[in-house]
Amino acid sequence: MIPGGVRVLNVGLPLIVSAVPDDDVVQLDWRPPAFGDAEAGRLMAGLQTPDTAAANEVAVGRMQSVRPQLVGVRAARDVVPGMDAGRLLLHAGPPISVERMCGPMLGALMGASVFEGWAASGDEALALLRDGEIAVDPCHHHATVGPMAGVVSPSMPVVIVEDDRQRAFATLNEGLGKVLRFGAYDAEVIARLTWMRDVLGPAVDAALAAAGPVDVTSLVAQALTMGDEGHNRNVAATSLLSRRLAPAIAALPDGAEVLGFLARNDHFMLNVSMAAAKLSADAANGVAGSSLVTTMSRNGVEFGLRVSGTGDQWFTAPVGPADGLFFPGYSIADANPDLGDSAITETVGLGGFAMAAAPAITQFVGGTPDDALAISRSMRRITVRPHPAYPIPSLNFTGTPSGIDVLAVLDTGVLPVINTGIAHREAGVGQIGAGIVTAPPEVFVAAVHALAAEAGQ
Amino acid sequence: MTDQLSARVFAKLYRDSVTLMALASAAQRIEGVVQVGAVMATPANLAILRESAMLPSDITPAPDDLLIVVRAADEASAEEALSLVEAGLTSAESAPGTVTEVRPATVREGLSRDVGLTVAAVSTPGTYAPVVVEQALRSGLHVFCFSDNVPVEDEIRLKQLAVSSGRLLMGPDCGTAVLDGVPLGFANVLRPGPVAIVAASGTGAQEVSCLLDAAGIGVAQVIGVGGRDLTAEVGGLMTNLALDLVSADPEVAAVVLVSKPPAQAVAAQVLDRLASLGRPAVACLLGEDDTDGPVAVRGTLEGGAAAVAHLLGGALDLDEGSAADALTGLNLPTARGILGLYTGGTLASETKVILRRAGVTAQVLDLGDDEYTAGRPHPMIDPAARADRVAATGGRSDIGLVLVDLVLGHGSADDPATPLAEAATRAIQDARTDGRELLVIGSVCGTSADPQGRDGQRRILEDAGVVVFASNAAAARFAAEIATSTAEVQK
Repeated sequence: MIPGGVRVLNVGLPLIVSAVPDDDVVQLDWRPPAFGDAEAGRLMAGLQTPDTAAANEVAVGRMQSVRPQLVGVRAARDVVPGMDAGRLLLHAGPPISVERMCGPMLGALMGASVFEGWAASGDEALALLRDGEIAVDPCHHHATVGPMAGVVSPSMPVVIVEDDRQRAFATLNEGLGKVLRFGAYDAEVIARLTWMRDVLGPAVDAALAAAGPVDVTSLVAQALTMGDEGHNRNVAATSLLSRRLAPAIAALPDGAEVLGFLARNDHFMLNVSMAAAKLSADAANGVAGSSLVTTMSRNGVEFGLRVSGTGDQWFTAPVGPADGLFFPGYSIADANPDLGDSAITETVGLGGFAMAAAPAITQFVGGTPDDALAISRSMRRITVRPHPAYPIPSLNFTGTPSGIDVLAVLDTGVLPVINTGIAHREAGVGQIGAGIVTAPPEVFVAAVHALAAEAGQ
Repeated sequence: MTDQLSARVFAKLYRDSVTLMALASAAQRIEGVVQVGAVMATPANLAILRESAMLPSDITPAPDDLLIVVRAADEASAEEALSLVEAGLTSAESAPGTVTEVRPATVREGLSRDVGLTVAAVSTPGTYAPVVVEQALRSGLHVFCFSDNVPVEDEIRLKQLAVSSGRLLMGPDCGTAVLDGVPLGFANVLRPGPVAIVAASGTGAQEVSCLLDAAGIGVAQVIGVGGRDLTAEVGGLMTNLALDLVSADPEVAAVVLVSKPPAQAVAAQVLDRLASLGRPAVACLLGEDDTDGPVAVRGTLEGGAAAVAHLLGGALDLDEGSAADALTGLNLPTARGILGLYTGGTLASETKVILRRAGVTAQVLDLGDDEYTAGRPHPMIDPAARADRVAATGGRSDIGLVLVDLVLGHGSADDPATPLAEAATRAIQDARTDGRELLVIGSVCGTSADPQGRDGQRRILEDAGVVVFASNAAAARFAAEIATSTAEVQK
C-alpha cells in the first residue's frame, strides 16, 4: 500500500515505533517549535512551502552574488542619501526617540553635535536633540551602518562601497579607548574626529584612487583563512587592507601618521566589511514571500530585525547586555545593553556564523575550537546555504552558513549567534569586554506573523 | 569592607587576554569571591587594577609577569579562586578533538538524513501536533498522529490537506495502525492475510484483528483514522481516503470499518462507499442493531469479526463452552453489582452495549479516558492504577462481579497480567474474608505472537482465579447472564 515501504520519521515517544526495525526509523530530538509559541508555529508550518523556498533562493542568491568594491572616502553629506542638508545625525539600530536612548548613544550624538559646531557643549547639544532641532534617524535608513552607537554626522568621512547597482556607507573606525562610538566626546575624541576628517579620510581616499578599488569580498575571504571571523577579530583583514594601501599612503605628506594610525587599529577593516555586508543584505530586500533576514541591529535598548518579504518593516524586542568576558575591573553590572549595526556581518554569514574560522578567539564561546566549529555548524541549521565566497578550511572548505531563514529559526529554536563588543553603560568609558549574544526570539515570532499576514494566511 | 585582597604572581608566564578573562570569569563564580583579575602585569593593566582598588600595594610584578588578584570575603574562597586560575593556566588541553553529531530535531532535518522516509509518527503534546503534522504532510509523508487534544478545526484543515495530496492522516488521537505489516503505536503482531481494517477506535481494531487472528484469518492493513473522523464535522475525510487505498490493495479480500456509530449523514455516505468497494465489507458500528443489507452492520466488535470471518468462509473460535465449564464449581457472586474496569476504551464501549442489550445496569469505566489519566501514563502502558482499583473491589459489598480487559501487543506493558492477577487475588480474598464471593472475569486482547504472549498472560490470570473468555463480548455476555439469573445468589 505504501510504495517504498514503511520507513518512519518518529516525532515524539520512541514507544510508538518499538515494533519498527531500527533501520527504518529516524528518531527526532524534537522540541516545541517557535520557542513554544504554538500559534507562531502554525504560521511557520503554513509558510514552509515551495514558494517560500523559491523566494528565499532568489533573495539569498542576490545577497551572495554582490561583490562590493571599496572605491573611496567622502564626507557623509556629499554621498549618504538624505544627509546633504539640515541637522541630521544617524545612529545604530532600529528607530528610537532621543528620550529612550542609552548613555553611549546619547554621548555619541552630543559629541557629533559638538564636532559639527551645532552646539558648544554636550548639554547644549542634548537640549537641541531633545527639542528636535537636531534630527536623528537610523543609519540603516540611509544605506549606512555604524558600529556601537553608530553615529554619523555630515562632516564625518565615510567609506563608499558599491557594485554596479547600489552604494553603501560606513564611518571610519576610530580605534579603541576613548572613542565616539562608545559615547566619549571629550576634547581628545573631537580632536581625533577632526584629524580623521582632515587627514585620514583624504589620505585613504587618495590611496584608493591610486591603488583601488578593493574587492572587499575577496579580501574578507582571505582574512577568514587567516583567523578572522569578520566581526570581533579583524586583525588579518585590517593588515591586508593596510598592506594594499600602504605604498600609496606612504607617498602622501601625512603618510607616516596615517600608517601609524592603521598599525594601532586592529578593527579598521570592520567598518568596511560592515558597509560591504550592508550592500549585500540590501540587495536581498523586498523579495515577495521571502523569509530571509536582511537586517539584524541593536540600538542599546532594542534589537531590530528586518526581513526580505516584509521590506522596511522593523521587528523589535528589548535587548539585554551581552554576558561575555570582561576586562579586569568590569562585570556585567557595568555593561550597556547590546548595541550597534555590526550584526550586519552575521546577517550575511560572517562573525558568529564564521566562528569556525577564528580559533584564536574561540574562548569567547567558552572553550575550544571544537566549540567554535559547533557554533558554525549550528548556524547551518538556520541558514539557506553556504556563502560561496567564504570557504572555511575547518568546514572542509564549504562556505560560512549564510542567509538566515526566519522559518528555520522558529523551526529549530536555534537563534543567530552574534559576536559583539561590550560597551560600558556610561557614555565615554568605552569597551569593557566582548562576548557572544543571540538575537531575541520575540523578533522572529513577530516576523512570522507579518509574513503570514503578507501571504494572506 | 571586610573583603581581603590576595594575589599571586607567575614570573615570565604569558597567556593571552582571552584565556585570562575566561579564567577570571570562572573563578568569579566561586562563592565568597567578589572579583578576580587575571592579567599580564603591564603598566596599563596595573593602572586599571589600581583604579578599581584591585592592586595590592605589596607587589611589584614585571610587565612580562602574569598576575592574579582576588578580592574575596574570606581566605578560603580567595585560595580556591587562585588555585582554580592557576590550574587553568597550567592545564594541558584535554578536550577530545571530536565534534559530536547533532541529532535531527525538525521534520526537515529528519528528512535530510534519510530520503526514503514515508511515514511520520507524531506523539508530541497536542498543542504542537498540528505544526508537525502539517510539516510532515507538506513533505509528502503519511502521518500517524498519536497526539490527542488537537482542536477539531485543525483536524479538518489538516485532513483536507492530506486528502489533497493523497496522504493518510491517521488521527489525531490514533492509537493503532498496521501498515503493510508494520505495527505503529499499540498494535498486535498479526498474521498476514486478506482483511483490511479501517478504524476510528483503537482497541476496537485490536479486538477485531485479534479475534480474526485467533480464527486463523490474517490482516493486510489496519488504518486508524482517529475517533472523530466519522463525526458530522470531519465527515469521514480520512475514512474515505483509507477505503480508497485499501480497495486498491490487491492483497485485500475483505474490509471492515470499526467505529462508534457515525453521524447520520456520514453513516449513509460511508455505508454506500463500503457497498461499492468491489469487495465484501462489514461495518462494525458499536451499539447499532445488527442488520444485513448490502453491507453487514454489526453492533459489537465480536459480531463484526464474526461477520468478516463468515465472508471469508471461516468462523471465530469463541470457546464459550469451556469458559462456562470453568465456572462449574465456582461459587456464584454474593452481590449482583457489576463494575467494569477497562484499559481499552472501545472494549469498555462494547461491554456497555452488550449489558444494555441484556437490560443490565452496570458501571463500566474506561480508565484510559482523560478523566482518569491526568498526569499518568495510559493504563495499557502502566497497569498499576487499574490494578489498584481492581484490588479495592474486594472491600465493596455492592459489587459481585468485576469485568476487566487485558490488552497486549506493542506499546502495552511488558507483563500486564501479573499486576492484574495479583489485584484480582487480593480482591477475591478480601471479599471472602468479609464472607462474600466475588467473580473477576475478562478476556485477553492479543495474539500468541505478541511480545507478551497471549497464552501465558491468560494462564497468569486464570491461575489467580480470573475467569477468562475468548472475547470481550463473551465475557460481557456471561456477566449479563449472571446478573439476570434468577438462580440462588446467596450461599
